[in-house]
Amino acid sequence: MRYASLTCALLLAPLGATGGLRTERIVPLTPMERDTVSARDSAIHALNRLAYGPTPGEVDRVASFGVMRWVDAQLEPGKINDEALAPRERALPVLSYSREALARVYADAARERREAAMGANTMMADSEPAPGPHGRLGRALTDQYVELTLIRAALSQRQLYEVMVDFWTNHFNVLIAKGADRFLLPDYIEHTIRPHAFGRFSDLLGATAESPAMLFYLDNWESVAPGARPPGWRYRFGVGGADSARRARAPRGLNENYARELLELHTLGVDGGYTQQDVVNVARIFTGWSIERPERGGGFQFHDWAHDWGSKVVLGMRFPAGHGQDEGVRLLRWLANAPATMHHVSRALCQRFVRDDPPDGCVDDAVAAWQRSGGDIGAVLRAIVNGADFWAPANRAAKVKTPLVFLVSALRVTGAQPDSSLRLPQVAARLGEPLFMHAAPDGYPESAAAWVNSGALLDRMNVAVALAADRLPGARVDLDVLLGDTPDPAELVAAVDAKVLAGTMTDNTTRVIEDEVSTVPNPVAARALAVGLAIGGPEFQRQ
Amino acid sequence: MTMSRRVFVKGGSLALFSVGLDPLFLARAAFASAAPSDAGPILVCLFQRGAVDGLSMVVPYGEREYYDARPRIAVPRPDVVDLDGHFGLHPRLAPLKEWWDRGSLAVLHAAGSPDPTRSHFDAQDYMESGTPGVKNTADGWLNRYCQHDREHAATPFRAVAFGPQLPRILAGSAPALAIHNLQTFGLGGGAPARDRLTEAFERLYAGTTTGLLASSSDEAFEAVRVLRQANPLQYEPAAGAQYPRGPFGHALLEIAQLIKSGVGLRIAFADVTGWDTHVNQGASDGQLAQRLGEFGQALAAFATDMGERMRDIVILTMSEFGRTVAENGTAGTDHGRATAMLVLGGPVNGGKVLGSWPGLEPAHRFEGRDVAVTTDFRDLFTEVLARHLDARELAAIFPRFAPDPARYPGVIRT
Repeated sequence: MRYASLTCALLLAPLGATGGLRTERIVPLTPMERDTVSARDSAIHALNRLAYGPTPGEVDRVASFGVMRWVDAQLEPGKINDEALAPRERALPVLSYSREALARVYADAARERREAAMGANTMMADSEPAPGPHGRLGRALTDQYVELTLIRAALSQRQLYEVMVDFWTNHFNVLIAKGADRFLLPDYIEHTIRPHAFGRFSDLLGATAESPAMLFYLDNWESVAPGARPPGWRYRFGVGGADSARRARAPRGLNENYARELLELHTLGVDGGYTQQDVVNVARIFTGWSIERPERGGGFQFHDWAHDWGSKVVLGMRFPAGHGQDEGVRLLRWLANAPATMHHVSRALCQRFVRDDPPDGCVDDAVAAWQRSGGDIGAVLRAIVNGADFWAPANRAAKVKTPLVFLVSALRVTGAQPDSSLRLPQVAARLGEPLFMHAAPDGYPESAAAWVNSGALLDRMNVAVALAADRLPGARVDLDVLLGDTPDPAELVAAVDAKVLAGTMTDNTTRVIEDEVSTVPNPVAARALAVGLAIGGPEFQRQ
Repeated sequence: MTMSRRVFVKGGSLALFSVGLDPLFLARAAFASAAPSDAGPILVCLFQRGAVDGLSMVVPYGEREYYDARPRIAVPRPDVVDLDGHFGLHPRLAPLKEWWDRGSLAVLHAAGSPDPTRSHFDAQDYMESGTPGVKNTADGWLNRYCQHDREHAATPFRAVAFGPQLPRILAGSAPALAIHNLQTFGLGGGAPARDRLTEAFERLYAGTTTGLLASSSDEAFEAVRVLRQANPLQYEPAAGAQYPRGPFGHALLEIAQLIKSGVGLRIAFADVTGWDTHVNQGASDGQLAQRLGEFGQALAAFATDMGERMRDIVILTMSEFGRTVAENGTAGTDHGRATAMLVLGGPVNGGKVLGSWPGLEPAHRFEGRDVAVTTDFRDLFTEVLARHLDARELAAIFPRFAPDPARYPGVIRT
């Protein structure tokens, strides 16, 4: 079997290579196009890094449009026509729900649960009651948002924007599985992250600090000045029973969780020079930053009674006594453009766009642009893309795709249509990156070392093979549109190289895929095998 | 049960010889002594990510300060499972008491990092790299152990992490596997198609000469071959052991399965999450109690399932730091310093709470708020490596550290 296929490939390869027809039909380089080969390489690189990879024909379109012109256009997403995506968005009701409406669904579902629990047989107390209509609606809306995230990544023309939304989603990570964040997250991504993805960092930081999703996720909503009591709260002298349970729930003091992650992850970085005392004082500054009850909309609310009105010092900066919410705003404004923050966030951006171990030059360029522009994220991105490091040959194809990038780029390169179901998000989960499910506040890692391991690679191969055979749950692929079919293995592999790997196929990969497809008589099966091997193979794991 | 286990063991050793044709495997095996793969010491490391509250896990119930500092979340005296008159297990860890009574469970209290960071990420990083205070260490200490291990056969399954990602502690130049799910490890599909596909991908990746992609794929295909021979898919835990549902119970079940299938597992690693109890952590019941219940049940099930094999097995639990002595304003605890670590298994010098207990009086706390660290985690780790796995090159495994048997906390019987 093996020998037969090898012989077959050896016989066919030279024939294919000398056939002038093949070269012209499969690698269609006219003399003019040959001069723009470097433009093509640049387009490949730009689409791999600034987008979720190319769609069919996109490399050539971007190359002829001009790569830098394309980058400029991507930096103004509002001007990009996204008509293919629009009907898909309209089909998902979650986008027409305001935060208040989502909160109402959540409150109704909670009431429904309580009523069901009270009505249930006490013997069954351990088992979870099946959700009622409000609970099911709440779950469906959350699921829709998760589905939408993959649909947008795959289909949106505003690719750099979607990539940046993912970046900030991880930088300002919130776990969808934590209590109220189930209903707060869609609003958080939609109205806190997305409007600011290309705006000023200080606006984005301020928006996350006030967002109910973050206040809940990092526990700040219930952090209060030591000893502070809500109005109308009365100490009861009851012992045991419901009374002591209520007392246990009454907030009694500080919680440092948000304060620490704000400094360590969102702004200054762990080496930002702050002390434990700074963390405590930041927590004091944010006492009172809380959330309305879901019945009233679940929005941001500042609680006077919970705030610590005393004086504080953070990193040598004085915050005099007698200030309320304004001192938190002042601190955020200062943190947003502190030198350590510029460096920390610029470094993370360079890691995302240039190299896992970001070059100093890239970080310096980004920081300089940050200083010039007052933290305008678009300007910082432009500086990174204009820098020599971004285009350096050594940094091209130097990053390994994260599971999300792998999955979305595979959908895009095959022109697959994601459906509106949880099945594709489940594929992302199987690959190791369930959306919005990173429990720790640092978000999903960006570096290859975190993702590349033997089990994960096997999972990617499985997904690749299933996708190419149109057997991947949640996506439909039509390879006829992408490739046509040809009985000639060499011709087929050359076409796969051009369409799936944008002409980057190595000799070894060419040889192996030719060997394999030459033993498969059915051209449709051979084509699926070739595409599956290409997407599951080593070239496609890189970006 | 005994029957099927024998079959696995046999299948496993068969597998090892039949894949002997693979040159990579031969090259690795040549370094190792010819110890049979299904015998010898095994280390199971469990990382309680998120910083477990050591004071709830192993309660200093003999101390007034414990109750003073935690009016809402202290475990009441009558609920504590007494160990030595001063410390007791959280009631949900009661399934482990049997192992304490047999002298197979030791507690090391007040253990932690010499670095005072209260950042989860830094502290986890230090505990996994084994170099507290130094961030640019490229590999993890369990991986460095494997790099220097000449004592045991180098099989593809020597070091396995059970989860979707290979953790920092096992990252490095020595081969290590991450297995998300043993049942689906490898390529899908029916037998002939699957084997051809596996071979094709193996050839594709054989052309990748450098980097993580190359080494990970080598390891993957080697493991797929061995696992296919060992066939661990049908598995019935022994002695009626009941693993709790959920990812942690499942990970321990798969570790047991792999050990019994005789593929040469030497180092197993799994994460267990949900310990970052800033809010309403509860006392005898509640959030933390629930996590401890699952944790204790899983450990007990594993030990029961392994039966006689526990003779060669040491389970070591670790967590990046402990939590504040006093409860915080939201009936939870914030990030602290020292915590308790459990050591369970046949070779363990058990039935003792080891380490030097600093006490909870405010003057004895670290910065007046946290349990002070009296045992450097590296002293614990070096002891386990040296006395349980016969590791010799401890200085290379823990750089910038002078391993010293005089500082071993004494968790392994000598």
